[in-house]
Amino acid sequence: MRDIIRMIVVLAVLCALSGGLLAAVKSGTAEKIEYQQLKFVKGPAIKEILKGCSNDPIVDRFKLQDGDVERSFFVGVFDGKPNSVAYETFGKGFGGPIGIMVGVNLETDKVIGMGVTTHSETPGLGARAKTDETFKGSFKGLSINEPVKVKTDGGEVDAVTGATITSRGVCAGITESAEFYKRLKPQIVEKAKAFAK
Amino acid sequence: MGDYILLAISAILVNNILLIQYLGNCPFLGTSKKMDTAVGMAMAVVFVLTMAGIVTWILETVFLKPLGLEYIRTIVFILVIAALVQFVELFLKKSIPALYAGLGIFLPLITTNCAVMGVCLINIKEEYNFLEMLVSSLAYPAGFGLALILFAGIRERIIIGRVPTAMQDTAIGLVTAGFMSLSFLGFKGMI
Amino acid sequence: MSETSLVQEFTKGLWEEIPPFRLVLGLCPTLAVTKSVETGIGMGLALTFVLVCSNILVSALRKIIPSKVRIACFIVIIATFVVVVELSMQAFAYPLFLKLGIFIPLIVVNCIVLGRAEAFASKNGVGASIADGLGMGLGFTISLSVLGSIREIFGAGMWYGKEVFGASFQPFTFMVEAPGAFVCLGLLLAIMNLAGKK
Repeated sequence: MRDIIRMIVVLAVLCALSGGLLAAVKSGTAEKIEYQQLKFVKGPAIKEILKGCSNDPIVDRFKLQDGDVERSFFVGVFDGKPNSVAYETFGKGFGGPIGIMVGVNLETDKVIGMGVTTHSETPGLGARAKTDETFKGSFKGLSINEPVKVKTDGGEVDAVTGATITSRGVCAGITESAEFYKRLKPQIVEKAKAFAK
Repeated sequence: MGDYILLAISAILVNNILLIQYLGNCPFLGTSKKMDTAVGMAMAVVFVLTMAGIVTWILETVFLKPLGLEYIRTIVFILVIAALVQFVELFLKKSIPALYAGLGIFLPLITTNCAVMGVCLINIKEEYNFLEMLVSSLAYPAGFGLALILFAGIRERIIIGRVPTAMQDTAIGLVTAGFMSLSFLGFKGMI
Repeated sequence: MSETSLVQEFTKGLWEEIPPFRLVLGLCPTLAVTKSVETGIGMGLALTFVLVCSNILVSALRKIIPSKVRIACFIVIIATFVVVVELSMQAFAYPLFLKLGIFIPLIVVNCIVLGRAEAFASKNGVGASIADGLGMGLGFTISLSVLGSIREIFGAGMWYGKEVFGASFQPFTFMVEAPGAFVCLGLLLAIMNLAGKK
């Protein structure tokens, strides 16, 4: 009997200690891990979109509550003015959701660039949306207030050759994102001011 | 349906857990000297892995994920697997002694078989739904068994051959496994 | 414990019982993460950390832990340190963490760690256990970096990300693929067997 009690006590104390240690390590590293994940997963797309900004957009980020979801915004400072943000939205592609990072100029509401963060599209076809410069470039300068469409649908975007579904998915994702962008814009502008240099 | 068949083929042949993903190699070399032990080990792995896959997947979706405790996944999974192995051992001993006689000695070894833990982690990492998880938890150990039994067949022959002293046992085993792996690599074109 | 025997405990992991060659344990990470030197060293150091920490704790608690549940206790201790490594690697070396993938959590089932806890730390003092853990861990790191070097040099024509041969070198891709790992480890093992014969 005493043996059993001893076993249970030793195991329970060990588990409690381990839980405590892990919780401490977790809370100590949580912020750092979030930064690292942003830097290496979304960082490349953000850096490309906000090319030439004078700050580190991954450090200068803020979150806003939009209904049930929390959205992150990355601020780009140009000429000392925090006048652009990049945010992530999702479109429906051929192989599942496509993560799209969109950069918008807060003064003109125009798209300054976009990049694909995560996707599961067909390699060589839909996957080229991530690298195809003509496709990505054709979003530049479009107004976020108008629906974004590929050329065959009467829009401005050059679709990736052989990947119409992917291209349409990206366009639809950006068009949808305009909704929450418009809804949150006053807050975004307010928050972004804090990052002025 | 086609997706599930594709997943099964990919798990058994194209991404064979032993030869392509390098998981579970300790028992692969340790229990492949004789056909009997290889068959026993293969059966034990299929048995435990399927159960472990289901249990860990449910734990992840029902507890860890909603509670934001993903970071202690490693610790929870290994304890679950260890407990499960103990439980299966007790259960078999009491209820199906015939099966226990065959699998018994391999069961304790399975706790430290990284194939079991590995497939549980793959199921989570690939974000499989319940059915996909079920297919992968069945197909991966099937691939394990296939490779192990084929390998045991080759090794039984090697023992008869004259192998240089320095190459004996594990060394020749590893080189043989390398060539088996090369042939499994050929399945890559299938998908 | 005298000083000479501490040195002995340490050096035995570097040659006499160097894992995974002399002590054929922990083969999965050996095969899987030696595509390049960088991942090999990263894995080796992560394992060393877990091994030393778990050895210290196991040997310090060896009189308190009841022998019936010792394996469960060892697993809890090891798993805790593995999660610590997992979290700190994500925080400080994220690209390496992505490359090592599921092999970091899999340190938990690495037979070297559990094997040393059971065979050495649960029977010896803290000092000797630290020496043993450090020796075994570094031995493992050395083995992995040797294997990683060979595979990276021949398989990719690079060493630690730098070009070794000129542009005319055709990489021997076999070496960085799965079969190369098995064959290369098998041949190294044979060479070690030859060298070890007295």
